[in-house]
Amino acid sequence: MRKRLAAFLSTEAEGGPSTAGTAVFWILGCTASGFLLIGWLLPWFVGPYDAGVGFSAQDALVSAPTGIGTILIYVLAVAMVVLLLSPLAEVVMRLRGRTLGRRADRIRLYLGIGGVVLTGVVWLLYRVVQEEPLFGQVQPGEISDSAIWLTMYGFALAALVYGARRWVIGRQTLAFGTAALPFGVFLPLMFHQAPDFLLWAAGSLAIYMLLALGLNVVVGFAGLLDLGYAAFFAIGAYACASFASPIHNIHWPLWILIFVGAAIASLFGAILGAPTLRLRGDYLAIVTLGFGEIIPDLATNNVFNLTGGPNGISGIDQPHWGFLDFSESPRWYYWSLLLVSIAVIVLLRNIERSRVGRAWVALREDEVAAAATGINTTTTKLLAFAIGASVSGLAGAFYGSLVTVVTPDDFSFSVSIAVLSIVVLGGIGNIAGVILGSVILTFVIFWALPNMDAWSTTLSSTVHVPALANIDFGSYTYIIYGIALILMMLFRPGGLLPSRARRIELESAGESESLAAVQGIA
Amino acid sequence: MSENGQPVVATTADTSTVTDKVIDLRAIDVYYGRVQALTRVSLEVRQGEIVALIGSNGAGKTTTLRTISGLISPRKGEVLLFGKAIQGIGAAQIARLGVGHAPEGRRLFARMTVRENLDMGAYSRGDRAGIRTDLERVYTLFPRLRERDSQLAGSLSGGEQQMVAIGRALMSAPKVLLLDEPSLGLAPILVDAIFEVIREINAKGTTILLIEQNALLALKTAVRGYVLENGAVALAGPSEELIASPDIQRAYLGM
Repeated sequence: MRKRLAAFLSTEAEGGPSTAGTAVFWILGCTASGFLLIGWLLPWFVGPYDAGVGFSAQDALVSAPTGIGTILIYVLAVAMVVLLLSPLAEVVMRLRGRTLGRRADRIRLYLGIGGVVLTGVVWLLYRVVQEEPLFGQVQPGEISDSAIWLTMYGFALAALVYGARRWVIGRQTLAFGTAALPFGVFLPLMFHQAPDFLLWAAGSLAIYMLLALGLNVVVGFAGLLDLGYAAFFAIGAYACASFASPIHNIHWPLWILIFVGAAIASLFGAILGAPTLRLRGDYLAIVTLGFGEIIPDLATNNVFNLTGGPNGISGIDQPHWGFLDFSESPRWYYWSLLLVSIAVIVLLRNIERSRVGRAWVALREDEVAAAATGINTTTTKLLAFAIGASVSGLAGAFYGSLVTVVTPDDFSFSVSIAVLSIVVLGGIGNIAGVILGSVILTFVIFWALPNMDAWSTTLSSTVHVPALANIDFGSYTYIIYGIALILMMLFRPGGLLPSRARRIELESAGESESLAAVQGIA
Repeated sequence: MSENGQPVVATTADTSTVTDKVIDLRAIDVYYGRVQALTRVSLEVRQGEIVALIGSNGAGKTTTLRTISGLISPRKGEVLLFGKAIQGIGAAQIARLGVGHAPEGRRLFARMTVRENLDMGAYSRGDRAGIRTDLERVYTLFPRLRERDSQLAGSLSGGEQQMVAIGRALMSAPKVLLLDEPSLGLAPILVDAIFEVIREINAKGTTILLIEQNALLALKTAVRGYVLENGAVALAGPSEELIASPDIQRAYLGM
């Protein structure tokens, strides 16, 4: 038992620095730092109604450490700074060809655990004994729940990453799941004071994650480039809107409609797939691009009086059963989507490993050889289109119900591109990579970039640099987005978490290059 | 090197038509778009034979194999497999009926491992025990593949890739094996080794139709041969006759 525990806590890293195992290590480590930072400085990230743990420290600095709470926050600050800078220290040591010793990991483990406990104590003191002037000038209610949760989560993550380094690197998927799942599940409770953030989590993160998972089937598994994927999203959303709104006076429950949306979208997927069976690569991309333009256009032109024209369909029903009132908060959508996403992930993972999944990969590698080994290329391709589209249709139905209004503009080319970017950036063909990619890109595109102006204004007033407030980040959105993508592709061409095939290919490309160099010399 | 006769292998297939013709092409015409690639090509391969298909570049050898395995459909004529017409039923179905095709240029699944490539060969089979036996058989035929079984197929040498291509075709437990230039780009010593294996596969009862640039080697391995010229059969007959024919000697054997 002791031995196993020792192995569990061992610091020796397995595998080289470029393997996905260490990628998970870095991702979790940096996330821990990010959460600590955000928890500390929350008002800059979430909004004016929220304050971070650090705010009290800031106020305490102005006055004097007047109470035990302030002292605790100072202690927390020290632990936080150490853990915050840990990834940086790791990088520096790696660059110098060394690793931080086992003792450093032990210390960080204790700091992490201590941090979780202390943050909890601060929170208890703050909430329970709030009459006492424990926190100097900080008023009760100023430190938000989200700040406390984020800080605690950051400490816990740091403890996990540095304390169980070998486990995190060795069992990467499990470690990633262990770290991400509780956060995913409790997110609405942690951010209950920030409804905008919940709306983002449900309407952007969860929806785009589903879209990316679906597109990954087509592009990643089967290798068919689809540039009009938003069309299936539109079909799902319009299906939901048509059957759950006053427009045709039909009111079906959402739980049926997500299947209806998925079924109709998969039908359209097969319809798009059938005539394009013989096309590949750029030719297929052009056809799908056309399809992606046609569908919103049909909606704009109000075909068969079904779609409500350019104004779209409004007044879409939101489910309401007893205490489950979906219109009251996005959190019900969020939890439903989380449940559906998990189901979709499990399903896709099984399909990937099934006969069909192997057939997709063979088809992607060499269509002629695939046909010669007995794979029915027609049904295999159509299945990829249909399954990919059905996930998108499912997401569309949720989206329609969540936003209650769908218009043709919601499904423009930029949606297709955003979803494709998520898949490519996360790691084509790798479900874990696609999940991670959707978290990061939706945060950047739909949360960070739109809030950049507000953040810079807050920052400028805090650090007294008025020029910061005058930068119009809105106009730089796509430049920042583009630069991020370029950097990403330069430094991790296989995506954040490359699929196994891509990873081995990149590694062996390096090998054969060096082999060629050797042969060239010899 | 024995001039392998016709090993008598009982047909286990419960085909309704009793025939020893495994493949029977009847006057097929094949077009690529408007270009005619094959003109009235007739060809047969009997149970247990190795048949060689020789001819210069562009004569239609590869097209003939592709027609048999269903990668292209003939515009006219019939393709019979064990006496049943198979033209137009699709490559996947034909592969399931027992045609194993190691296509031109190997066409491996480059980003799959050797083992996965071999497993893909058995894609349409359900009998796990049989698959395991055949995998063992492929590894016995090509011990090199066992050593490399978790390596990416695309990173192998040419000879190893050819081994994978043949092995993958064998994994479907084919009744007839179509080999398209198994010696392409290989060192002479490897060519001999590959042909040794081809004879071995045949001795175990698999009928083989073979395309080969090296006409002499092909004819020495095969029982019979067909010579294609400009998409039509120019000459056909037992290997010894073809080797002895002055036309063949001049055009293909460089004698």
